[in-house]
Amino acid sequence: MKTTALRLMTLLLVLTFLVSACAKATNVTPGAFPVEAKPTATQGMPTAAPPEEKIELTVWYWGDPDAPGADKWLAETADKYMAMKPNLKITIVTQDGSTLFSALQTAASSNSGPDIASQWATGPVLSFVWSNALVPVSDFVPADELKHWLNLNENTYNGKVWGASLYIVGVYFIYNKDMFQTAGVTPPGPNERWSWDQFMAACEKLKASGVVPFALGDSDGYGGAWFFSTLGMQGLDSTDELRQAVIGKASFKDAKYTGFYKLLDDMVKKGYLNSDVMSIQHAQAFVRVSQGTAAMQWGIDGVIKQTLKDMDPAKVGVMRVPKWGTGKMADYGDATQSTSYLITKWSKHPQEAADFIAFWHSQERLNAWYAATGVVPADDRFDINLVTDPVMKQVITWNITGTQVWLENWIPGQVDGDGDLPAGQLIFSQGGTPDAAADIWERAADSWRKQNPKELENWTNWQQ
Amino acid sequence: MAVKPFTRQPKLFRTLEPYLYLAPATLFLIVVFFYPIVQVIRLSFMQMEAVGGPIVSLGNYQLVFEDPVFWRGVKNNGELLLTVPIMTVLGLILAILLFERVVGWKIYRTMIFMPSILAVPTVGLAFVYLLGMNGILNTLLRGIGLGAITREWIGNATWVIPAIGLVIIYREVGFGVILFLARLMSLDQEILEAAEIDGANWWQKHTYVTIPQLGAVIEFFVIVEFITMLSWVFGYVYTMTSGGPSFASTVMEFYIWKHAFAFRTPGMAAAVAVILLIITTVFIFLQLRIRHQRLD
Repeated sequence: MKTTALRLMTLLLVLTFLVSACAKATNVTPGAFPVEAKPTATQGMPTAAPPEEKIELTVWYWGDPDAPGADKWLAETADKYMAMKPNLKITIVTQDGSTLFSALQTAASSNSGPDIASQWATGPVLSFVWSNALVPVSDFVPADELKHWLNLNENTYNGKVWGASLYIVGVYFIYNKDMFQTAGVTPPGPNERWSWDQFMAACEKLKASGVVPFALGDSDGYGGAWFFSTLGMQGLDSTDELRQAVIGKASFKDAKYTGFYKLLDDMVKKGYLNSDVMSIQHAQAFVRVSQGTAAMQWGIDGVIKQTLKDMDPAKVGVMRVPKWGTGKMADYGDATQSTSYLITKWSKHPQEAADFIAFWHSQERLNAWYAATGVVPADDRFDINLVTDPVMKQVITWNITGTQVWLENWIPGQVDGDGDLPAGQLIFSQGGTPDAAADIWERAADSWRKQNPKELENWTNWQQ
Repeated sequence: MAVKPFTRQPKLFRTLEPYLYLAPATLFLIVVFFYPIVQVIRLSFMQMEAVGGPIVSLGNYQLVFEDPVFWRGVKNNGELLLTVPIMTVLGLILAILLFERVVGWKIYRTMIFMPSILAVPTVGLAFVYLLGMNGILNTLLRGIGLGAITREWIGNATWVIPAIGLVIIYREVGFGVILFLARLMSLDQEILEAAEIDGANWWQKHTYVTIPQLGAVIEFFVIVEFITMLSWVFGYVYTMTSGGPSFASTVMEFYIWKHAFAFRTPGMAAAVAVILLIITTVFIFLQLRIRHQRLD
């Protein structure tokens, strides 16, 4: 009996040692990272995984609508990376913009899904930070690498960077030089910026010359949302001022938040816009200048590049959005990383995921990105001399010069969808006054606060 | 060969037997229908949000009733109910004309019924292009010198609900026509002939003879379309306007979708779903009551 007990105890002891030995070799507990997970990556040189370990990374990606060619570039990048790391398999799942948020939310609620996810910068990213679905990118990418990535301020929270940037897009006005000349309008120089009054005077001259001064589409609400991000920003001193209205410490009815709707209302009433603003979507108006049916329109990097292809490049001009406000942000740029790339909490290979993102920023991949998309990569090592077109060079210079804020990123998604978008539609459809548009914002923020007390708490405690 | 004597089954078994036969189907119904309904009702009392957990509360209903956008949706659903009498009358007229076998009636029958088999998003998107500022309708109006009345039919707060209503009528009326026509085909022809012999004109024949005999089918169609206008118009709104411009075409279903999937406040969505369920249930009971009265 004694012998049997001794044998059993010995067996138990051996098993205990075996189990504990295995436990040391197994993976990371979600949310708590082992010492080995400290940043070790160097640019394009993955180091973390031992060569014999089979690793699978799933990437949920959205980028092509912002930068046509992005999907192809990522597929090529994954192939190159896998060739460097034979033990690694990368699966790319292209995402749809309309479900980008909800799909990741579903993944987060089940703690499973991609290793690398994409998401709109700032507010939406922080929403996932607060729901404990992410790990900081800055925990896995060395500081001397990270310092080259641009616009990281958009996703910095509590001293950590939670979303990686890949590219930067800015929003400007595209104009037809010939139409300007015919109407007797002199555009601003590269280092100049029109005041709103100068812009309106130009619209009047263009209208008198028989052309539509400005083409816009707002059936989806985004035409108005772009005005909020560019004109709306100009009344404010900081993004924190906007946060005060979001959390209810200030009112959106204050002119510094929504006073710009009077400018837009004036524009509509004076007939400076196309007659079908509410019949077409925002992106459908992106071809009006190249079609010769309007003198000006919105342009983002990819659209500007396309316009240069579609019409004589010598006739294409770009300008910054006219200045209206007197807030400190009136002189800020509006370039944004648009989409951010995140490492999920449930990923079993956060270091490998970070290494792959870092590989995107290798010099060869940065150059390939620009060649594929014509959009500037979010990295200060990108050689701007590769950009030969003077218009694109101007755009990229604006994109990377000075402080950049895309204001729409700094409000909760619900306030955007329930306030920002319908308020603009109200003005462009002439369904209400600028004061009524301000009321829509206030109601949307109030509803959001009442329906999301926990999120309100996070926004209230967020020190920007 | 011994004959098995007849034995009476126990009374308890005889009582339970029909329920045992019904049990599988009942279980299926409970799982498929009742469980989700119970869950939605449960969810409507919880404050769910993207960050944080559930808190049992009646607050969702309060927030819904305080929200002017919800009431705008209710109003729009109410306005869409006006399409039901239009569809019913139009469906009856078309069915009778087809029943009278006007020249080419088979082709007309196909043309009228065709929209009913098209997917709602297909119809919705087609009308987005038809009713746009530079769409076919406005182009036609300009062509015949009526350019002054052109407008953005679905981009205008005043006209967007009538425009959606028109599209709904276009797609749904075919269903009514087929229902009415099927009933007309089964009518006793002798009654109609007798009316003609008695000197009834076309109008009198159909008003006093035909239509009264379609009562049950008309009642069914009206109730089904009432329920459709309340809880089955999301596809039209989503594809044509996404509730815009600026909430002008929002409906209760769209409100539910927005809160469930775009705003991540499923508690609010569930509260409106429960309200909608109650309203549609009232209509279903109304239909049953009318039917019982008719049978009595």
